[in-house]
Amino acid sequence: MDQAMRPQMMGARVSRVEDPRLLSGQARYLDDVDVPGMLEVAFVRSPHAAAEIVAMRLDKARQHPGVFAVMTYDDCPVMLWDRAEYDIGQPCLAHGEVTYVGQAVVAIIAENRYVAEDAAELVEIEYRPRTPVLDMREAILERPRRVHAETSNVFFHEEYATEGFSEAFDRAPHRLSATFRTNRQTAVSLEARGTAAMIDAASGRLTVYASTQSPHRMREDISNLLDIPEQLVRVIVPEVGGGFGMKANCYPEDIVVAKAALAYRKPVKWVSDRTESLLSDVHGRDDIHDVEVAFADDGKIIAIRDHLMADGGAYPAYPFSGAVGETSLAARVLTGPYDIAHLATVIDCTYSNKVPLGAYRGVWGPIASFIQEGLVERVARYLSLDPAQVRRRNMIRPDQFPYRNAAGMPYDEGSYLASLEDALKLIDYDGFRRRQQELRTQGRYLGLGISAFVEPTAMASSEAGSVGYESCTIRIEPSGRVTAALGLGPTGQGHETTMAQILADQLGVRFEDIVVLHGDTDSAPYGGGTGGSRSGPIGGGAALVAGRQMRQRLIKYAAHLLEAGEDDIELGHGEAWVAGVPDRSISIRTIAQTAYTDVKKIPPGLPIGLELTERYLPKRPVSFSNGTHIAEVEVDIQTGIVRVTRYVVVNDCGRLINPTIVEGQIHGGVAQGIGATLFEALHYDRDGQLTTTSLMDYLLPESTDVPRMVIKHIETPSSGEGGIKGMGEGSLIASPAAVANAISDALAPFGAMVDTLPVTPAMIRAMVS
Amino acid sequence: MPTEEARTAIELNVNGITHRLDVSPRWSLADVLRHQLGLTGTHVGCEQGVCGACTVWLDGLPVRSCLMFGVQAQGHQVTTVEGITPSTGLSPLQTAFQEHHALQCGFCTPGMLLTAQALLDRNPKAEEGEIRAALSGNLCRCTGYQFIVDAVLAARDAGRDA
Repeated sequence: MDQAMRPQMMGARVSRVEDPRLLSGQARYLDDVDVPGMLEVAFVRSPHAAAEIVAMRLDKARQHPGVFAVMTYDDCPVMLWDRAEYDIGQPCLAHGEVTYVGQAVVAIIAENRYVAEDAAELVEIEYRPRTPVLDMREAILERPRRVHAETSNVFFHEEYATEGFSEAFDRAPHRLSATFRTNRQTAVSLEARGTAAMIDAASGRLTVYASTQSPHRMREDISNLLDIPEQLVRVIVPEVGGGFGMKANCYPEDIVVAKAALAYRKPVKWVSDRTESLLSDVHGRDDIHDVEVAFADDGKIIAIRDHLMADGGAYPAYPFSGAVGETSLAARVLTGPYDIAHLATVIDCTYSNKVPLGAYRGVWGPIASFIQEGLVERVARYLSLDPAQVRRRNMIRPDQFPYRNAAGMPYDEGSYLASLEDALKLIDYDGFRRRQQELRTQGRYLGLGISAFVEPTAMASSEAGSVGYESCTIRIEPSGRVTAALGLGPTGQGHETTMAQILADQLGVRFEDIVVLHGDTDSAPYGGGTGGSRSGPIGGGAALVAGRQMRQRLIKYAAHLLEAGEDDIELGHGEAWVAGVPDRSISIRTIAQTAYTDVKKIPPGLPIGLELTERYLPKRPVSFSNGTHIAEVEVDIQTGIVRVTRYVVVNDCGRLINPTIVEGQIHGGVAQGIGATLFEALHYDRDGQLTTTSLMDYLLPESTDVPRMVIKHIETPSSGEGGIKGMGEGSLIASPAAVANAISDALAPFGAMVDTLPVTPAMIRAMVS
Repeated sequence: MPTEEARTAIELNVNGITHRLDVSPRWSLADVLRHQLGLTGTHVGCEQGVCGACTVWLDGLPVRSCLMFGVQAQGHQVTTVEGITPSTGLSPLQTAFQEHHALQCGFCTPGMLLTAQALLDRNPKAEEGEIRAALSGNLCRCTGYQFIVDAVLAARDAGRDA
């Protein structure tokens, strides 16, 4: 077959190689790690939002049958952030005081979890409660007090304005203001967090099984925080049951478990239960934005001013604060896909007596999109213009690339206007408006919400760490089969499949002859892990670069052994042959045998064996995907209940590696967006108690809440390797704004406009009465 | 150490095999299956009876194995995901899940399979609405459910043709 006509694995709808083990119950997650003599941990957690620890009585717990050890801060005196990026550090076990409900205070290590929990009940701690700091605006003003006596509540402050902002803003014909509020939410991976640590009998090293997105980062943190030489720590990531950014952190519990295994020379495991998960996984989205927008008569937006505030919780989550991530990136992408010349932002991140704020899929994006699309909607309503028309008027035009937005972010070429037009066609925008009018006369309130979005991906620095590159090792075994390894930390994205697709094309071997390893720091090359939608563009880029290098080596072998020119060699189906002369061929297997065992035949200048590692650092600091979501909802104004009835997505993430996997990511992100808009909120009462500590209180979308979605792909390649852009977060960036705008549209006869997420039935009842 | 916790001898029929076990009366069925029998395909997602990841069959009907004690399963036939998996390859429903990309992280998948298979066994003509209603007690955080529903529809149609 001609080389150019051979089907490419990249871009194909390949079934996942991960699936058989997952479907048959054979996959091994963290809690499935079990070795003889393994001890289990239960944590005693703070029942107070803020209190001084006056006394701890641990004897009863220590004496309880089946208890091996009881640990306090004195047994594990480790501070996160000890490297002083902030003025304070977080003790892995509370030290003298507690600063949020759910903070780990004491660790019970016992023969199993049941016994450990029994003993946890026997721990007596005397607290002297303090006034909790719970209100963001008050906290910024240092009221009612400082969370940490030694430092200001505002731990991050930044200001930015484009040149000439004030003049442009003041001269504008129209101005509107609004306050947008997103309430605390969290990732709720179906598999909660967990860690198991043990000393490896053979090597004497510390082996840590961790349910994490960043294996190498975890190794580095454990090594640094517990002062163990890095080569003596091995991190193994088993199957991970979801992460969504929440598992990119190193948590206090990870360090306590590793410390316990070292101190007591026993295998030790901790698996979070769901209550602990809601009490101690990083939260996200606790933001308030005071926004003003200035615009012209035709709907052209001239300037946006935003005071961004985020409640970072009691400590900056380690090793990155979600509050800083949510605000600083929102400030840089607040103009979304629109050409808005002027921007002024002020950021304040504050401490409070709540769970630390970390990353949850989309981080800044769901908030910034909610604001940017909410502003467009408000401008349209104020001027009585069609919201689609206002978007067209403001959208970045194709002739404006290369484009930098008002905050200086360099955008990739995309399909900004095209995705909007396609989405409007897919939802039958004009037909909808007619139907909406008809049904309103029958007392039925349908609404349609547009959300055009940008998704900055593959950033040099993201929640997966500050590693801007990714690494790929390829080893063609003597049999011609391929073992590849990357430094990624997949949590369900299917990297074993997508990376093998890329490699199969480059190496000319069969897809099923490749295995992709990850998540074991002994076999995976150093990498940044998975997060910030980097694995496709940067990890895929590394697979491409490494694959191309190995391909060149295979071609040199084939040319030498077939006595042909390198330019004439083609690769495919595990064979190399001379173009146009398929009979003059040699199998990859034979080449591999030559490379390892018949070394006298190795072409001059090539090393023995077929093994290499390549790294890929994108030239651009960020890669922008884009697209448009449109949601249709029906609001029951009697009950306040919202049903999402139709949903379309036009998505442009550059060149697709596997369209089916991309669609799965979009479906999941939209479902999370529906949850974010209608159901999900972590609620603190006035004493700082988290009252949503079960999945009966923190509601996730069910199969009956999520509509069938229609997806169209547009492929505008990036300038990076393979033309790939990231796409893991865009669907959750766009969807809350789409659903919120649809509700606002449905309730337009009542003059209502959504400004708070989630939108509960009670809020809707208030809007219509 | 060690504990003096009382244990009870029970007989438990799981996937057609009867096991004699010494268990603590307070151990959940999920914990007995996972940690006594090593059947770790049953996943524990919330221990609050909400998420459905721990779904197994008791006498052919889906139940939450986190909400009952191991001792309560005596005298019943327990089936786990390992029990609905053929000795080689995958079942038609499992195959449909792979073909339709009905799983990502896979943690909810065993519970989804048991719930969906029980539905198809009971109602081989189930429509999309019935499928969604049946699956509404099983939470998935990755897929948005669409490809799961597609897989169940495909398995239903394959069963019809068979």
